[in-house]
Amino acid sequence: MHPILCRGRSLILYLASWTPIAVFITILLSRDGSLSAIEAESIAFPMCAAYAFVCLSSWYLCKVTPLKEGNIGRIAATFGVASLITSTAWLLAIRLWVLLLDSISIFPGLNNRYANEADRLFFIGILLFILAAAVHYLLLMAEASRQVEKRALELQVLAREAELRTLRSQIDPHFLFNSLNSISALTTQDAAGARRMCQLLADFLRRSLQLAARESISFGDELKLAENFLDIERVRFGERLNLDQQVDPDCHSCMVPPLLIQPLIENAVTHGIAPMVEGGTLKIRAARSGSSLEIIVENPFDEEARHAGTGLGLQNVRDRVKRMFGDDGRVDVQRADRLFRVTLRFPCVS
Amino acid sequence: MRVVIVDDERLARSLLREFLQKHSDVEIVAECANGLEAVKAVAEQKPELIFLDIQMPRLDGFEVLDLVGREVNVIFVTAYDKYALRAFDVHAVDYLLKPFSAERLAEALDHARAKIARNERPPVAELTAAARPGAKLERVLIRDGSQVHVIPISKIDYIEAQDDYVAYRSEGKQYLKQQTLSEVEATLDNTRFVRIHRSYILNVDRLAKLELYAKDSHAAILRDGTRLPVSRTGYSRLNALL
Repeated sequence: MHPILCRGRSLILYLASWTPIAVFITILLSRDGSLSAIEAESIAFPMCAAYAFVCLSSWYLCKVTPLKEGNIGRIAATFGVASLITSTAWLLAIRLWVLLLDSISIFPGLNNRYANEADRLFFIGILLFILAAAVHYLLLMAEASRQVEKRALELQVLAREAELRTLRSQIDPHFLFNSLNSISALTTQDAAGARRMCQLLADFLRRSLQLAARESISFGDELKLAENFLDIERVRFGERLNLDQQVDPDCHSCMVPPLLIQPLIENAVTHGIAPMVEGGTLKIRAARSGSSLEIIVENPFDEEARHAGTGLGLQNVRDRVKRMFGDDGRVDVQRADRLFRVTLRFPCVS
Repeated sequence: MRVVIVDDERLARSLLREFLQKHSDVEIVAECANGLEAVKAVAEQKPELIFLDIQMPRLDGFEVLDLVGREVNVIFVTAYDKYALRAFDVHAVDYLLKPFSAERLAEALDHARAKIARNERPPVAELTAAARPGAKLERVLIRDGSQVHVIPISKIDYIEAQDDYVAYRSEGKQYLKQQTLSEVEATLDNTRFVRIHRSYILNVDRLAKLELYAKDSHAAILRDGTRLPVSRTGYSRLNALL
C-alpha cells in the first residue's frame, strides 16, 4: 500500500502541496484573457486533484526500478514512457471535462477557447509526473536509511544484552553455594561472623548487578567490588588466601568496562590459590604512567594441579578491552616460575 | 561408625563436625584438608565412611574415590552439581549439596549405615567414569599403603593384566592396582593406548616394530626391547591406528 494513501494526514498534506500547481495552471490558462479566471479555476483545480492521484502511481514504478548506478537508462525509459502515457491520458481527461462544462452550458464556447492551451498542459503533465517520481525516490531513500539506522540500533541493543548476559553468568554459582555453606557453619560458631558474611555477600551481589548494568565504571568502583569479593573468599579460605594490593590513588578515577578485572580475580582464587595446599598471595597492582593505566593481577599456581580454567574469562577480558579501547588496549598473559600474571594496559579516561 | 571428613575449607569441616556430633554412633577419626591427607587417613584409620569434597588441592574428590573407594563408603559434599549429580543419582552412594541441612545429612548417614550393614561396595570404576563424562585420564594414581604414586599418562609404557590386578609399567618400574584391564581401557585415550591383547594395553609411542612370528600371530617390540604378544584383533586395531 502506498505510504501516502494509507495515512489520512499525509494525504491531505500531499493534496495541499498541489494547490500552488493548480494556481500556477489557472494563471497560465487565464493569462492572455481567452479564459476567464473562474473558467481557468474550474479546469485547473479538479484536474490537478485528479492528476495528484495519478502521480501517486509513480511510487510503484520507483519501487520496481530501484535508484542505483547502471540503472539510469532503464529509469529514464520507464519514466519517459510512463509520463507520456499519463500526460496523454490527463490531457484527454481535461478535454472531456472541458467538453462537459461546455455542453451543459456553464461556460459556453469553452471548448474552442481552451484548444490552444493543450500543448503547454501536455508538457506540464510530463514534468509533474517526473517530479512526483523524484519525490518518491527521495521518500524511498529516507525510508531505507531509517531502516538501516533502526537495524543498527537493534544490533547495538542485542550486543549490549549479550554482554549483560555473559556478565551475569560470570557470577559463579558455586561461589554463592560455598559462601552460603560458610554462613551455615558460622551461625552456631560465630553469629557475628555469620552476620558479617551475609552483609558482605549482599553487598557483593548488589554492587555487581548495579555495576554490570552500566556502560563503564571507575576503576575505584571495580576495585571495591574485588575487595568485597576477596573479603568473602578470605572467610572461606582463611590464611591460605593473602592479598597484596598496591594501587596508586590517581588510578581510581580511570574509567573501565564494568567487571573487567573481576573474572581475573576469581580465576586467580579458583584456579590459582585454592588448589594449593598452603595457599598463596594474590597481587593486585595498578599504576599510571602518563595517560595510560597499567593493571596487574598475579597469582601463584601449582604446576601439577589440574585446575586449568576454560580460558573463557580471560577471552572475555580481552574482548572487552578491545571493544572499549580498540588498538590502544593491551592484555598480556605470562606464565612463569609458578606465577600466573595478567597485565592490562589502556588509556586512562576520567 | 568411624568417619573421616575431607574438605579444604575449615568452616565446611567444622559444619560437618557440628552436624555429626548429634549422631552418637559416629566417631570422627580424622579431618583432612586435601586429597593426599585423605588417602593417608583412610589407609591408617580404616574408616567406614568418608565425607569427601570434590574441588581440593593435590588430589580431587574423584581421584581420592578412585584410590580408596573400594575400602570405604563415600558421601560427596560439594557445591558442584553439574557432572557429579548424574553419577550419584545412578549409584547408591549419597551426596550432599552445599549448603545442606542437618536433616539431609541424617538421611545420608542412614543410607551409609544401611550400606555398611549390607556390606556393599560401590562400583567405583563406573562411578568415576560416569562422573567425568568425556574427560580422558591425564594421570594414573596408585596407592602403596598410605603413599600415592602419580604417573603421568605419557610415562606409561604398557599395562598388563595380572589376576585381580593390573600392572602399570613405567620407567622400568611396575605399579599394581586393583582394577580390570577393561576399566583401564575405558578411561584411556584410545588414540594413544591400544588393547593389543587380552592381557595387554600398549602406549603406541613406545612401539618400535611389529614382528610376524607365526601364522596370524604377531609380536610388538618396544623401544626398550620388550616383546609383547599381539592378538589378531589387536593387530587390526594397531593397523587401523597406524
